[in-house]
Amino acid sequence: MKSSNPVAYPSLSRRLYSVWYRHVRVYTKNLLSNGLPPFLEPLLFLAGVGLGLSKYITQSMEGLSYIEFLGTGLLVTAAMFTAAYECTFGTFIRLEFEKVYDGMLAAPITVNDLIIGEIIWAGTKGVFFTFAVLCVLTAFRIVRLPEGLLTPLVGFITGVMFATLSLWVTSFVKTIQHFNFYLTGVLSPMFFFSGVVFPVSNLPSSVRFAAEIMPLTHCVRLARAVCIGQYPPGLLLSLAYAVVFTVLTGWLAIRRLRRRLIR
Amino acid sequence: MRVIQVQHVSKSFGRLRAVDDLSFEVEEGTCFGLLGPNGAGKTTMMKMIYGRSSRTDHDGGIIEVFGYDPAREELAIKYVSGVVPQENNLDEELNVIQNLMIYSKFYGLPARVARGRIETLLDFLELSEKIRSPIKELSGGMQRRLVIARALLNNPRLLILDEPTTGLDPQVRHLIWDKLRQLRAQRTTILLTTHYMEEAFQICDTVLIMDKGRKILEDNPQRLLKENIETYVLEVPLTNGRPALREADLPQGVRLDRAEAILRFYAQDVDRLKGVADGLAEHPYYLRQTTLEDVFLKATGRDLNEKQ
Repeated sequence: MKSSNPVAYPSLSRRLYSVWYRHVRVYTKNLLSNGLPPFLEPLLFLAGVGLGLSKYITQSMEGLSYIEFLGTGLLVTAAMFTAAYECTFGTFIRLEFEKVYDGMLAAPITVNDLIIGEIIWAGTKGVFFTFAVLCVLTAFRIVRLPEGLLTPLVGFITGVMFATLSLWVTSFVKTIQHFNFYLTGVLSPMFFFSGVVFPVSNLPSSVRFAAEIMPLTHCVRLARAVCIGQYPPGLLLSLAYAVVFTVLTGWLAIRRLRRRLIR
Repeated sequence: MRVIQVQHVSKSFGRLRAVDDLSFEVEEGTCFGLLGPNGAGKTTMMKMIYGRSSRTDHDGGIIEVFGYDPAREELAIKYVSGVVPQENNLDEELNVIQNLMIYSKFYGLPARVARGRIETLLDFLELSEKIRSPIKELSGGMQRRLVIARALLNNPRLLILDEPTTGLDPQVRHLIWDKLRQLRAQRTTILLTTHYMEEAFQICDTVLIMDKGRKILEDNPQRLLKENIETYVLEVPLTNGRPALREADLPQGVRLDRAEAILRFYAQDVDRLKGVADGLAEHPYYLRQTTLEDVFLKATGRDLNEKQ
């Protein structure tokens, strides 16, 4: 028999918030070791390139000096890598080793809440990592304010896109070593052929086509547009790509992970 | 009031039938135990009750918990229930209070309410001194009690425990039993799985013995004992050779169960077994009352299955 007053479990937004909050608390537990590298990495990268490489690259790229071109690309690769690590190794460890999800699913949290909360959390990390790069770029006067202030938003979009893709990949993985295929086989090529290190516009047409399919290409475009404050109409295509890609891979990820969690 | 109703529920994993046409009911304020060897389907049955496992659709039967179907309304069920999974899955990076505070968010408890409740629960499970301890520094028994405290955060009306005391020492085990009895006295309904007969006997009002996904016996533990097995057993190990005993010579009312390395004589009347024991001469023996374990072994057989 059903009790007379219906059970008032937390609303969807509260449930998503509680999942997100769990990740924030665990991440910020080791604030120094988790929070410092995002600032150090772009610093090292730009120091190396600025002191060494940029002397030899004098040609402008898409109207930017090389250090500007590379710097604006790094804004989103940082978000890509952190979201990808979080939703491959991080998710897999929570799923298989620490059994964190078993604990969470014993509370009034559904599998959908769990995965969407995870995606929002990866987006949040994207914001933070992009913000860290932005701080470095601003300090070196490579990116100007206030235009640059919108880049963390692009970091969020990037984080979410790579979270859904990575979760979908994770749903297939049986042993943790398999992630190496994804990281070196998918993410590394993306780093080089998505217009981060050099423009895709001058690539042979077949490679260029591949570059246009890669999600990172569109993230980079969004980030650069925001940094220089110019929004050509073609940018809407990149934005539409981001939305369709997120919905599609997100749906695939949830469908497959659900089958793994509810047997 | 009926808290759990399970009718003709089945569940298959590929060709393996983990739960096979199982039916039972759990009344409010009682403790119900699912008892069986590893691989009997206890955990699967339990997971179906809080929506963590889906029942086989075409012949899946009916499950209702507080009137809700876990396949559709898992949130309502989980909001009023506490679950203690088989493995402790605490956040190891965090300490005791942080673990509980984060978990209280899942129930939407305001921080102030949560803090008060956590204090009460840690006190109840005798963990108050460990409130700031990192999880890594807790013993297995403390971690188990903490997981139980976590399951009690929202004052559940139903507490679901999957092997609550497996691998714990006797002191902790008795402490946990004691706490479960107290909860039941406060009208909390308890559903647990175990393979300890002692546990079932100590705290369950009703025990359901299952094997290979099917129900074998279901009753009050005392009645199960009384109606399914003789009161006494005489155990004679065969390690020091066979005693000079012929089956034909056994007195009336004594049943013999032969195993590889032990003979077991069962009887309602202890004197008859004493008589048998006297005839053993110097051969070692052990005369005792039967327990639920004897019922269990009689019901499920002594052979190991592939999961044991």
